[in-house]
Amino acid sequence: MSRISIKNVDKTYAGADSRAVADLNLDIPKSEFLCLLGPSGCGKSTTLRMIAGLENLTSGQIQIGDQIVDAADQGIFVPPEKRNLGMVFQNYALWPHMTIEENIEFGLKIKKVPVAERKTIIDSVLTKLGIVQYRDRYPSEVSGGQQQRVALARMIAVSPEVILLDEPLSNLDAKLRLDMRTELKRIHSELGSTFVFVTHDQWEAMTLATTIAVMNEGRLQQVGTPEDIYDRPANRFVAEFVGTLPINMLDMKSLDNKTLKAWIQTYLMQLNVEIVDAASVGIRPETMNLHPNNDETPKDTSRCKARIVDLVPTGGNWIIELDVSGTQIFVLSRLVEDLTVGNDITFSIHTCDLHAFDTDGNRIQTTQPKQNLKTKIED
Amino acid sequence: MTQFSLPKSPKQVSWPSLRVIWYRSQNWARNPTVTIGIILSVFAAYLILAPVIMMLMDAFTVDFADQARASKLEGELTSYYLNRAMNSPIAKYIFWLPLMNTLFVSIVVIIATLLVGGLLGWLVSRTDLLGKRWFSTALIVPYMVPSWTFALAWMAIFKNRTMGGLPGWFESLGFTPPDWLSYGFFPIAVILSLHYVPFVVLLVGNALRQFDSQLEESARTLGASSFQVARRIVFPLLRPSIISAATLVFAKCLGDVGVTYIIGAPVKLDLLATSLLRTISTGQDGMSAVLAGTIVILGTVSVLIDMKLLKAAQRFVTIGSKGSLHRTTVLGKWKWPAFGFASSFVLIGAIIPFAALLLTTVMRMPGIFSWDNFTLEFWIGRDLITTALPQGILITKEFWVAAWNTVWMVGLASIGAGVLGLMVGYIVARSPFRLLGGFLKQVTFLPYLVPGVAFAAAYLSMFAKPHGFIPSLYGTSYILVIALLASQMPFASRAGIAAMMQMGKDPEEAAQIVGAGWWRRVISIVLPIHRGALVAGILLPFISGIKGLSLVILLAVPGTDLLTTYAVRLLDFGYSQAANVVAIMICLIAFGGTWIGQKIGKTNLANGIGG
Repeated sequence: MSRISIKNVDKTYAGADSRAVADLNLDIPKSEFLCLLGPSGCGKSTTLRMIAGLENLTSGQIQIGDQIVDAADQGIFVPPEKRNLGMVFQNYALWPHMTIEENIEFGLKIKKVPVAERKTIIDSVLTKLGIVQYRDRYPSEVSGGQQQRVALARMIAVSPEVILLDEPLSNLDAKLRLDMRTELKRIHSELGSTFVFVTHDQWEAMTLATTIAVMNEGRLQQVGTPEDIYDRPANRFVAEFVGTLPINMLDMKSLDNKTLKAWIQTYLMQLNVEIVDAASVGIRPETMNLHPNNDETPKDTSRCKARIVDLVPTGGNWIIELDVSGTQIFVLSRLVEDLTVGNDITFSIHTCDLHAFDTDGNRIQTTQPKQNLKTKIED
Repeated sequence: MTQFSLPKSPKQVSWPSLRVIWYRSQNWARNPTVTIGIILSVFAAYLILAPVIMMLMDAFTVDFADQARASKLEGELTSYYLNRAMNSPIAKYIFWLPLMNTLFVSIVVIIATLLVGGLLGWLVSRTDLLGKRWFSTALIVPYMVPSWTFALAWMAIFKNRTMGGLPGWFESLGFTPPDWLSYGFFPIAVILSLHYVPFVVLLVGNALRQFDSQLEESARTLGASSFQVARRIVFPLLRPSIISAATLVFAKCLGDVGVTYIIGAPVKLDLLATSLLRTISTGQDGMSAVLAGTIVILGTVSVLIDMKLLKAAQRFVTIGSKGSLHRTTVLGKWKWPAFGFASSFVLIGAIIPFAALLLTTVMRMPGIFSWDNFTLEFWIGRDLITTALPQGILITKEFWVAAWNTVWMVGLASIGAGVLGLMVGYIVARSPFRLLGGFLKQVTFLPYLVPGVAFAAAYLSMFAKPHGFIPSLYGTSYILVIALLASQMPFASRAGIAAMMQMGKDPEEAAQIVGAGWWRRVISIVLPIHRGALVAGILLPFISGIKGLSLVILLAVPGTDLLTTYAVRLLDFGYSQAANVVAIMICLIAFGGTWIGQKIGKTNLANGIGG
């Protein structure tokens, strides 16, 4: 229910020689479900802890709702206990010496909620999260998934305006992750609070967030919807960081492969990108189309010849390693007939699936619109 | 003249504005960690750092009594004491011989404990030794009882006609043991070895228990013989724990007073610690400072070497890797010899001494098994012929006063140390200034390097005279409580730091997020979570404090006797049976305390070893 705005924030830890967070500007509209995504040490957790008030800023300011909660140069600092936040820690941080009910009650006690009302709230959150039968147990006596629910229950009991989550799904197994994802989405729509979570796991980011902010080395790289981040990476870092199978990134300057270069230039021309501008290009393995080499020599310049070097099953899709006249390219695809090691094939892509980056690694904007899903399926 | 190049202009330092300073100080003020940390640091500096420094300064400043001899005025700097200790007619007896004896005893004890303890540690951790579980407890017993009770037991068995008073068992059985067997070097080395073997059993045994058999097996598959495996694989990987055990034993030997005091005196054998005791009891402050300083330096050097070697060894720590295998060695034909070896250690290290002590207290003359020779008079008798002690110990008022003193003084000191240790842990884990935590961590560890006698000497030089508003504390119970507390800080603060680090910040931050202020967090979250650590942090120092002699022997006066000093006082009067009764009572309390401590705190005794 509160907008969070982060302005020109710098954070240098005492004794560190580089900034953990550098010149961060981020506006999180109210009721947003925002994910801070990045590799470990990129400053995402520091950012979350600064929003919570668990770390001080070195400079800049953070505003939650109408209130400036931290501004070093104005001498303002609102401590975490006065920020009306909820936070779920990565290891849940349940208090081991309190039962599950007491864990949830603690925050209500602090907020001086009358006893009768406390009972009602506890009952309702316990029921909502399906852990009513465990209320008298200690945290160590329930499973990891249930601990996660207790941590959520403890947080939503005090109905905070801002909810912070630290790698909320990382400690759960695949099945529980899906359940908890649904749970979090439901809580988000019910409470309408502003959610901010951090993760290094792109699956977690893609499946939960409405907006993703990618960070690296303390700096914000790109803010956008999950589709933006995936389909239109703002720079090489984002392109390479996002994607379960790493993107095929080809450095045009050092690429010594005439066949491949010619093939890429065909697409660059279609995108109206000057060939000299494109310092590197990226192609996601799952956007490539393979064509079994039935016709002897394809005249089509949009196709490139390759030989299959290896086939790796991943369950469902296969990772197909291609040798394109000496360059290694990976493709992710369903296994079609005729795809066997040693066979020659050709491949092509949609024009919009070629990502071109300039010498600074920034994306070269193209006029080509993203094809919608329908045409892709018909293809 | 050569041209000087201008120094580079210093890097522009931008000073934080007043607003920013206000912002920071506000944050610190809100977090009482800093305030408490500063208060604790002042206390630690005053109660630990200052006494040690003042004592060491005594070595270089002229004492009132020595003005004429040093031909300088009181308080002036002098090398008189150093000269006297190292380069004077008495230097040999007061310094060099005790130093040599100390080093020699320590080396013998270290070698003996490593050999015996290492073998026993291997037997209980890695073989199918008969009665392995029983042995793993029984082998620790010699450490649970105070070391000087062994000396009492030794005297009860081997005392010969060189010394007056009650004869020993052998003497009254008609065999006169030679002096070298009865007193001095040999018994001291044997007793200290027996007492510290459990250290090595625990440390090396624990390391062996975690040792991955796959490491040995992979060497075997590459064709190494079992001797090569032991020499090239097992020994290098165990080296850290062997070094730690050796350092610990060395530090303990340096500080041991009781054993030498009882068993070295008859042949005038002194170690540094007893020489120190002698100089202090004859009021030679400067000399005692030199001796205490030597002990501190030796202790520090050994710990530094240990730390350096451990640091080097940490680079290849692989012990306890995932999926490790622990295969037990089948002893086969060595089954009975091994069993005999372990049993005889328990027999010699625990059963015989205890039985000898116990029998001495119920027999008028040792070794004569006739019915009328048995008596309970030393326990509960009345109208005895001994002048100063006309009744049994259990109905003597002084005994109960000493027992009560022990309980309340050691108890209070342990509670204080436990609570302060947890607080130090909190500061170290949470303080926004690393320097504050680091200072507390180091200073509270300092008493570990200063053996008990030297620490007591430090307290004497600090509190024997009034300082400012603090009156002279010597002769009061305060000095005992404070000294006990300070000497227990190394263990207590280590335990506190470990507990706090293990908990991490999360539970407290979670409470902060739901709106709990600092005091609320401490009372509702931090303290309850560490209840177990607190209990252990109080009980373990309590047990080691009850047994300890070297710290309190200098500080206690007849009015403030503890059980240990009371026993020694009785011994000085020649009432060995009475002293043995007290020793047995101490053993029982220490034994019971350890048992209760292990039940309540669920802590391994190995954790308490540093105390």
